[in-house]
Amino acid sequence: MKRRTGLLSQQLAMQRRKLLLLGAFAVGLGIMIVSQATLLATIVNEVFVQGTSLLSIAALLGTMLAVIIARTVLSYGIGRTGIMLAAISKSNIRDALIRNMTKNPLLTALGGQTGGKVSVLLDAVDEIDSYFSQYVPRLMEAAFIPLLLLIAVFFEHPASGFIMLASAPFIPIFMILVGLQTQKKSEEKYTQLTEFSGTFLDSLQGLLTLKLFGRVNRQQQEIERSSLGFRDATMGILRIAFTNTLMLELIVMLSIGLIALELALQLLVFKSMSFDTAFLVLLLAPEFYSLLKNTGTAFHSGRTSMGAARKVEQALGDLIESGHEETCEEKDSNISVRHQMPPAIEVNQLRFSFGDNKFELSVDAVQIRPGEKISIVGPSGAGKTTFMHILAGLIRPSTGEVQVNNRVLSPAWEESWFEQMSYITQHPYIFAGSLRDNIMMGTRRQVSQAEIEGAAEAAGLSSLINGLEEGYHTLVGEGGRGLSGGEKQRLALARAFLNRPAVIMFDEPTVGLDLYTERVLQRSIEKLSIDATLITVAHRLYTIRQADCILFMEKGRLVDSGSHDDLMKRLPQYAEMVDVQRRGGFQ
Amino acid sequence: MNERSILTQTLFQEKKDIAWAIIGGFVAGIGGVSLFAASGYMISQTVFSPPLYTLIILTSLVKILGLIRAASRYSERMYSHRATFSLLSRIRSTFFVKLVPLSPGLFNKKRSGDLLARFVGDVESLQHYFLRVAYPPIVLIMVFLATVLFVSFYSIWMALIFIVGMLITTFLIPSLILLGQRRNRGRVRLQRAQLSTEAAELLYGFRDLKVYGQLKTKEMELKQASTKLVDDQYMAARHLLRGQTLHVLLSFLVVWSVLLLGSFLINNGSLAGVFLAMLVMAALTVFDEAGAMAVLPVYKQDSEHAAQRLEETLHSGNRIPTVQKHRKLDDNLPVAIDISGVSFHYGDDTRPVLGDINLHIPAGSKTAIVGSSGSGKTTLFELLLGLYVPMSGQIRLNHLSTEELDEGSIWRAANVVLQHNHFFRGTVRDNLLIDASGYTDEQLTSVLESAELLNKSLDDLLDERGENWSDGERQRLALARSMLRGGRVWLLDEPTSSLDSVTEHRIMQRLLASASRDTVIIISHRLAGLEDWDQIVVLDQGKLVEVGSFVELMERKGYLYEMRKIEQQMIHVDR
Repeated sequence: MKRRTGLLSQQLAMQRRKLLLLGAFAVGLGIMIVSQATLLATIVNEVFVQGTSLLSIAALLGTMLAVIIARTVLSYGIGRTGIMLAAISKSNIRDALIRNMTKNPLLTALGGQTGGKVSVLLDAVDEIDSYFSQYVPRLMEAAFIPLLLLIAVFFEHPASGFIMLASAPFIPIFMILVGLQTQKKSEEKYTQLTEFSGTFLDSLQGLLTLKLFGRVNRQQQEIERSSLGFRDATMGILRIAFTNTLMLELIVMLSIGLIALELALQLLVFKSMSFDTAFLVLLLAPEFYSLLKNTGTAFHSGRTSMGAARKVEQALGDLIESGHEETCEEKDSNISVRHQMPPAIEVNQLRFSFGDNKFELSVDAVQIRPGEKISIVGPSGAGKTTFMHILAGLIRPSTGEVQVNNRVLSPAWEESWFEQMSYITQHPYIFAGSLRDNIMMGTRRQVSQAEIEGAAEAAGLSSLINGLEEGYHTLVGEGGRGLSGGEKQRLALARAFLNRPAVIMFDEPTVGLDLYTERVLQRSIEKLSIDATLITVAHRLYTIRQADCILFMEKGRLVDSGSHDDLMKRLPQYAEMVDVQRRGGFQ
Repeated sequence: MNERSILTQTLFQEKKDIAWAIIGGFVAGIGGVSLFAASGYMISQTVFSPPLYTLIILTSLVKILGLIRAASRYSERMYSHRATFSLLSRIRSTFFVKLVPLSPGLFNKKRSGDLLARFVGDVESLQHYFLRVAYPPIVLIMVFLATVLFVSFYSIWMALIFIVGMLITTFLIPSLILLGQRRNRGRVRLQRAQLSTEAAELLYGFRDLKVYGQLKTKEMELKQASTKLVDDQYMAARHLLRGQTLHVLLSFLVVWSVLLLGSFLINNGSLAGVFLAMLVMAALTVFDEAGAMAVLPVYKQDSEHAAQRLEETLHSGNRIPTVQKHRKLDDNLPVAIDISGVSFHYGDDTRPVLGDINLHIPAGSKTAIVGSSGSGKTTLFELLLGLYVPMSGQIRLNHLSTEELDEGSIWRAANVVLQHNHFFRGTVRDNLLIDASGYTDEQLTSVLESAELLNKSLDDLLDERGENWSDGERQRLALARSMLRGGRVWLLDEPTSSLDSVTEHRIMQRLLASASRDTVIIISHRLAGLEDWDQIVVLDQGKLVEVGSFVELMERKGYLYEMRKIEQQMIHVDR
């Protein structure tokens, strides 16, 4: 049960001063409420019962004006403190989510639905707002003000006080009953919300595919269904809220009615009471109950927030389970030195699986000397890319290790590792922004325009860029100009050129390009890798032939490694692959 | 007011619920005012020691009023919220449907995180329009007028105080709130969209960001966006709170004035003292109800801004929604394609992507398109699929122009493999059965085998966008998916670029065997293996350079010949 409010109470604990402030405001507000009612009752009594002249109640009226202003200021203070509390907490919670998003290991980051994650970051966190801006301030009010009102009533007329005291507990009991249900419903609601956010974004990304496959209608129905699901979940919560209010109002009405009747009897039958006391009690009783009622409503929205908070906790929890290694922040300075010799890379007893028992990568021992050119080859699905991901430090092996200069590759120093290596993926992501920004992504140092142009030139991009009206400032990525597959890969290369890495990893670098581009790229790559270690997932005979060492993989296993000639002699699968390649693709 | 049309249009669809909400709201409002006024009157009456039965009548009246009020409030809320949330989900599906014709090209204008923010957040904030702007003023004005009428029986001056108070609540306070708000009108919404956009981009580009060591920078950017959003939300909430507080102050002041005026009138003898408590209670209650009026313009402006953003999304396509096209492509015939004088450029980009293309592709023939990156090969496919309309010239499929053809029928006839194939989160089976045609598991498994996906089963899971599969695996799944389509024209855009040559060879053999009588067009990056294709089309920088069989083009010693020479150098370097 402790975990349920963990996130929220943690935030509250951090802002104890604000809570104290809220408490002080609430006490002040309670006093003002009692004073206002007393003054009102006195004035009405004076004018109506005693028939006092306007002049003689002027002082009373003036005091009342002051009390009114004080009351307003105090309740503004409570409201504002609540809003501040909410702002700080939301900011903290969101920061934690963002931090976790970036600390995530690759597999967690790519799993799940992007839309859902974004929706947790935005909508679920926003929902937490009302916990701090409504629930907490109301709770503080409920802790002090009803007590003050009760004291005042007891002081004036104990009988009414007893009625109020007796009926009050019904309200919190009822609230708790309702509230438990609310939180469950609210979790449901946010599950629905993340689900339909995810579906929407996924559908949007695949809109073209959906169109071509004639599936738009079905997807539309899907979205309608999930959006209706969200509506029903929302309505479910609201129904509880409204029923809650209805029941509370009935309780309140019954109690006020009881008090009114009791007052009337006292006034009429027993004549044991004066008008102003009766009127005062009649004014205080609704204030008392409406406070409790508001607390009930706020409690409801607080529980809704807790449901949302639960979602956020889950999102944070997912990451904590899988990303527990951000402990040591040690930085090894001699690793991050630029222009140094490429490191030696060594692989020991690597094992990795995606957890579905279908595929296991197993590479026992590979040694890559500084500056070596390595080609990883093998049929599609052999695990080449996965192996490369592990070498690059993007995926952590289940067992075994990758050593760079005799040091186990770990997230602790991955930053300096990424600084000295470049990984050119098959589908580099193009960020929304200018071409210049996208090339600059390649490095974290400050670079000049000349360097950027040089990198673009080396990657064979400059003629394309110069042909564009806005040149390097052309917007690309989402919201900008679309780039062809070849253009994207050249952009990735330009990033690498800017980085001047000591280790280059290429995932099928020249595939999917036309021959001219391919030739440009091949030259660029050669140039780039003069002083660097080059590890390539390769299919092209040319690339393979150039390699110092070829790693042949099949079904997740490293079958053999050696030079082209060695493998041609001793590995029939390799010879067959080369043969098909020589004869040319399909016929 | 264009932006309001989306709101008012949808509003009409739930008019019954809204009418009920208005009735419920009115009864609840009037009930509340009467309830408190009556209890004030009752307590005053006791001073005159009336007979007990009048008191009992009054008390029961109060009880009944209270019951009515609670019940009507409940039904008002139920009806109005049900209507509202139905409307919101309707707006959402309409929004999605209207986005469909904008693709492809949607993401040249819009960013996915931004669209998500509009779809979820903006639509969600429209609820304020329905719940706070659309009908509550009607209810409040009715309740208020009734109260003023009632008060005016006792004193015209008193009624005047009510009216002045109401005018301040309705006009002065909102303009005070809006005064500070005008500067950041819609800022919260824009900041929200900004954060959503950045977050989506971080997730999509995660691998690249990580590899380039840019995650920290992005994290900082996101945090900044988050801080800005929270700040703006804080500002907006403060403005709203200020308005609410002002209103509370005002209603107390009205009560105070009523008290003052009442005392004066009683002293004067023009008002019976017994009504003072009643009038005070009535003023308290009616102004309590009127609180919604003070913040109404804020919500109105806000939801209009949200509606405007939604509308703007839908009107930003670079493609005019086309008229209904009636001609359909017969999906039992192989398709012959005639391209005559076709030129094309994207949207505002004036540089032509394709210029004056003339090409005939006979039914059942096998055509390969080659050319350098950016030569317009993929664009040609997009035109063939009717995704874009040529700026000039015509494309005819089986003698029907794409301009008059229903795109749906083109898509049904086409087996397409794109350069980037989208897969949805789900099982392999779901992704194969994307067009929901009835295949048995055996058939599906055998198509997986044809595509050399032997180690995958139908129940294997794909992550969003197939991220957990390698490129080669995704390409094979896309090929498998297209093999199930059964169309008579194959449009394959570099379908095997990520496959090793052995696998590529096997799959293409099977594919060509099953497509022997269909029209096949492939965009290829390799020249080897094209010898047997009927026709090879060479594109360069949007121009058609050469057409002919492999042998013809080799003899011509033109562009293809040169390309072939380069490839020879690259592949046979070891010979």
